[in-house]
Amino acid sequence: VSHRDLSRRRFLKQTGLYGGGLLLAWQLPRPLTAEAAAASTEPVSLSALEWANLDAIVARIIPSDAEPGAREAGCVNFIDKALDNEDAAALPLYRAGLAGVEAAGRDLGEGGFARADSEAQDKLLGALQAGTAPGWSKEAGDSAFFFETVRQHTIAGFLADPSYGGNRDMVGWKVAGYPGPRHRRGGYSNDQVVGKASIISAWGEEL
Amino acid sequence: MADEMFDVCVIGTGAGGGVMIDQLTAAGLRVVALERGPYLETSEFDDDELRNVVRDQVFSRDQLETFRQDGGAKAEVGHYSQIAHCVGGTLTHWAAWSWRFREDEFKVLSTEGSVAGASLADWPFGYDELAPFYERAEWDFGVSGDATGNPFAAPRGKGFPNPPHPQRPGSVRFAEGAKGVGYQPFPVPMAINSKPYAGRPSCMNGGACRSYGCPVHAKGTTYSVSLPRARRTGKLDLRADAMVFEVPVDDAGRAIGARYFDSSGATHEVRARQVVLSGGTMGTPHLLLMSKSSSFADGLANGSGLVGKNLTFHHHPSVVGVFEDDMRGYTGVEAGMAFDDLHPSDPKRGFIRGGVVAETNTFTHQPLAFASTLGEYNKPQAWGADLKSWIREFPRASTYAGICEELPIEACAVDLDPDVKDRFGLPVRRITKHQHENDLAMFDWYEEKLVAVAEAAGATRVLRGSQGPLTISKDISQSGNAHNHGTCRMGTDPAKSVVDGYGRSHEVPNLWIVDGSTMPTNGGYNPTLTILATAYRSADHFVSEARKGNL
Repeated sequence: VSHRDLSRRRFLKQTGLYGGGLLLAWQLPRPLTAEAAAASTEPVSLSALEWANLDAIVARIIPSDAEPGAREAGCVNFIDKALDNEDAAALPLYRAGLAGVEAAGRDLGEGGFARADSEAQDKLLGALQAGTAPGWSKEAGDSAFFFETVRQHTIAGFLADPSYGGNRDMVGWKVAGYPGPRHRRGGYSNDQVVGKASIISAWGEEL
Repeated sequence: MADEMFDVCVIGTGAGGGVMIDQLTAAGLRVVALERGPYLETSEFDDDELRNVVRDQVFSRDQLETFRQDGGAKAEVGHYSQIAHCVGGTLTHWAAWSWRFREDEFKVLSTEGSVAGASLADWPFGYDELAPFYERAEWDFGVSGDATGNPFAAPRGKGFPNPPHPQRPGSVRFAEGAKGVGYQPFPVPMAINSKPYAGRPSCMNGGACRSYGCPVHAKGTTYSVSLPRARRTGKLDLRADAMVFEVPVDDAGRAIGARYFDSSGATHEVRARQVVLSGGTMGTPHLLLMSKSSSFADGLANGSGLVGKNLTFHHHPSVVGVFEDDMRGYTGVEAGMAFDDLHPSDPKRGFIRGGVVAETNTFTHQPLAFASTLGEYNKPQAWGADLKSWIREFPRASTYAGICEELPIEACAVDLDPDVKDRFGLPVRRITKHQHENDLAMFDWYEEKLVAVAEAAGATRVLRGSQGPLTISKDISQSGNAHNHGTCRMGTDPAKSVVDGYGRSHEVPNLWIVDGSTMPTNGGYNPTLTILATAYRSADHFVSEARKGNL
């Protein structure tokens, strides 16, 4: 069994049929993040430097182009609040991994990782995912697992309900072309299901 | 401190337990029902994907189990089974696909002969005996469908109580693709109201059924159908947050009731003349194995040694097609159209058994699961521009999947983990599960057929399930599923089964098991309507025996 198969198996076990995100700490009571996110968009888990580096990472995981990406969606704020609540068990992983990124960033110029150009950032992130980052210390932990956790959390921050502190102004749903949840908005008419009628999204656009 | 003596104690309130509670209280029996999870109000049934699906914080907050592929290996802690711990059980968040099994699916051993490495068995009854109870389940739970649509279905009398649901573009395209390669598509029967029915409203097409509660009671569940009816009889004492840890026995070897923890951790005991165990395929063997006594040193009702054994899931060959237009996968019921042409068993294909194929929005109804899981199909663990372009495909993607029969293997099992304890200090359940080579051959064969259907449907790109999260191989088995069966199989021979065809224990005369655990084989369809029908059949027999004074 190759290394890729092993990590893939671990990933599959964690995600199961539901997909995504069942990485950590699902046993804690609910729902905490939304309240924390509503209370503040200032860092509650991360230092200013950790926040800046993480913001730079998420901005490469879902980059901005003609449309907003993870930075504009506030994914770093989503993660910061989750790390103080449901995903608190992941905080040590983040602290270690972000310290590793900070150290690796010292080779990327004065501003470190957060100010490096996107090509240099992508090169380092690719190495984290592959587990081949040069000089990555033992204390910084398993870089591939760190990267995958950040990747999953970034996707969640981009596409989860805005009340959790990411997906700001529903930009993630706009990019995805997803009109928003409907249980509390009356669902869809039969004509909308079959495609005979247009759908008005949660932000008022006709889809 | 024991309180009053009940006629019946039912443990679990899902498909098996809910129907038993309903039918036994209707017959005038006084029932105490114990449910390990909380009672959830419909106001808690939102469609917040992070809370309901990814974090599973609504339905299985306390779920803790371990998994290993092979006996001898150490099991890893995780959250594997897609089951719900709440009043109404897993039915509360089911997607409501509602099939009758085909006639040969009750006779797998006699149809196929014995197969190396598999523990095939016949059910102790056939389709004909279950057919009237299927009909009761369909009419109580409001199944929608087209009674003449599936030429491969078992014969039926009455039609469905509700017409088919409207079909989204993704379902229509699937049907066109299926027809294009010569198959005969039809609407998936769903236990969800397509019109107001039996005092419950029509579906609002909200697109979030599986993993979610229905806030308007349009979905047929014991939460919305059986338990409210049972409450109105005045014969039901329903206790939520009651975690049963033992079914104690008296000196004569009869069950005397149940012992449970309430949410504060305090212990209670209830007494009843009959005990019905409906904890599901995972919960029922777990409880029996914890209920050890001097008379039952290997666990209650386990003289056969088969409690917990022969665990099966289904495997799911699948493809995701990406189309040019919006497939509206985020609207409507989970499954739209299906075809059953590949279902009949044919050893010439290189494997036996089969399953139904349907268009389903399992992954494509909510963007987070789509992006985080299906990125695997596209590019493993994609990020950057690849991930963003994948997210943009969301409305144009459509999933086709098989519900494929797995061969039972005796070594695949649920037992007690020797190391890991839950918050009450109870040993958690341990899942041991691998695949039979027949499963692997079927999976690969089906995937090729699904690719052809997706291409015929006009998909511009087809992603294979073997690259995705549902893949299976010799080294990768599924670790959890929503379809769990077989851990307390029924049969006529006490040496080869745990309960008889009515769910009554061969060894403990006042102990009954009514849930998916009694299914000896799992069919090529979602199992729940069969569990419901089996429960109606058990309940009828139970009441008839009670009236004859035989209990």
